[in-house]
Amino acid sequence: MVQVEEYPEITITLNVNGKDYTVNVKPYERLIDVLRYKLGFLSIKEGCGRGECGSCAIIMDGKLVPSCLVLAIQARGRKILTLEGIAPPGKLHAIQKALLDTYAMQCGFCFPGVIMASYYLLSKNKNPTEDEIKYALSGNLCRCGSYLRFVKAVKLAAEYIRKGQVYFDLKK
Amino acid sequence: MYIPKSIDDALEYLDKHAPDALPIAGGTDILIQIREGKIRPKVLVDLSGFRNKLSYVKRVNGKVVIGALASVSGLDETFLVKDKRYLGFADVSAKFASPVLKALATIGGNIGVAVSASDYVTLLHVLEAQVKLVSVKGERIVPLEKLIVEKRTLAKEPNELIYEIIFSESPENSSTAFMKFDRREMIITGYVTCATYLQLENGIIRDVRIAFDRVSGRIPGRAKKTEEFLKGKEFSLDVIRQAYNEVLPTEMKRKSDYRASAEYRLDMSKVMMKRALLKAKSRIEGGV
Repeated sequence: MVQVEEYPEITITLNVNGKDYTVNVKPYERLIDVLRYKLGFLSIKEGCGRGECGSCAIIMDGKLVPSCLVLAIQARGRKILTLEGIAPPGKLHAIQKALLDTYAMQCGFCFPGVIMASYYLLSKNKNPTEDEIKYALSGNLCRCGSYLRFVKAVKLAAEYIRKGQVYFDLKK
Repeated sequence: MYIPKSIDDALEYLDKHAPDALPIAGGTDILIQIREGKIRPKVLVDLSGFRNKLSYVKRVNGKVVIGALASVSGLDETFLVKDKRYLGFADVSAKFASPVLKALATIGGNIGVAVSASDYVTLLHVLEAQVKLVSVKGERIVPLEKLIVEKRTLAKEPNELIYEIIFSESPENSSTAFMKFDRREMIITGYVTCATYLQLENGIIRDVRIAFDRVSGRIPGRAKKTEEFLKGKEFSLDVIRQAYNEVLPTEMKRKSDYRASAEYRLDMSKVMMKRALLKAKSRIEGGV
């Protein structure tokens, strides 16, 4: 029999997409589990669970990090941005629109990570070159192999944003 | 999980509870090990709260001092990647895992992990770096070569923390380079990695240091016989060729595994050594 020790829960505050959430977490819980199952941010996907695939990428304190390699306690009091927070409710961000326009989606599992990585790139660089895009997305694995369309989509999104079209209506 | 209020608090807690308590900074290695069931620490001491305090890079009295919690992306914003003498840091960073891990992984953690894939260790070997360890009893400075004794084994007490990495400023006419060879260079560890430090004076090799991910053990180390051979000679392709064909194989023992054979690794080590030396030379002359 493996002896399972009961750890007391710790109360922490997470700032997700501009809103404060107070949650009780076990000390060993990962940020991805807390965000997904306790707070319901289901856009974060778990691919490999060891920081290789990039599907669980979020932006924490202005830096792109894999949420599977951050303990929830380590994120206490830090600002977290997930896919749900990049556009107002009912709208699409330019990156999402560009990905749709280029038909980049096949299964779409890696999308939340790809969008966060692209968002992070475009927040720092309004006019990225092809190499810069490839490097920025190098941490995102796509099982369907849509990599070339991602590059096209990020270029298109950069164009949209430069024109001032950051948000799009869902129905168009 | 224990959340210390200050570094002293963390040290006291570690002193009482080590080795059951392990420090965690970025967590990119320890969390994977815990999930694979390789280690089972009872308590983790969270150091990430001190990341703003301990992630500096500064010049003090002719030495470069790096805080152990400096992340890889943090180092990218310091003078280390702009100064031509330390361009090796830019090389490591460019080949260091995927962009998402760079924001978490720390240089102190890279040393603490102590495997042959610890790229910063390979680079810091050629800079003859020293590591400052702190504990409740005080601090001590250990050369990096003596600190890492075996794979995943450090010559440090469980209650000590890696605090700073220190190395002397290199002279003006010197530079460093780092090379990683692999089919998927960024995502996984390299087949062969090589770091070089070169100091040239009128075309003569004044000083040279060469480190590989593995020389004889299972940890990064320096090819000292090859260095001795090269010192004082003229920098030319013939000399380098002679060094890696005649001297390097006498001290390097590579192992075969499912990723590459020992012979291939040795061959690539020779190539990497040549390229890294040429790169360091071109950097001394003002190139990249």
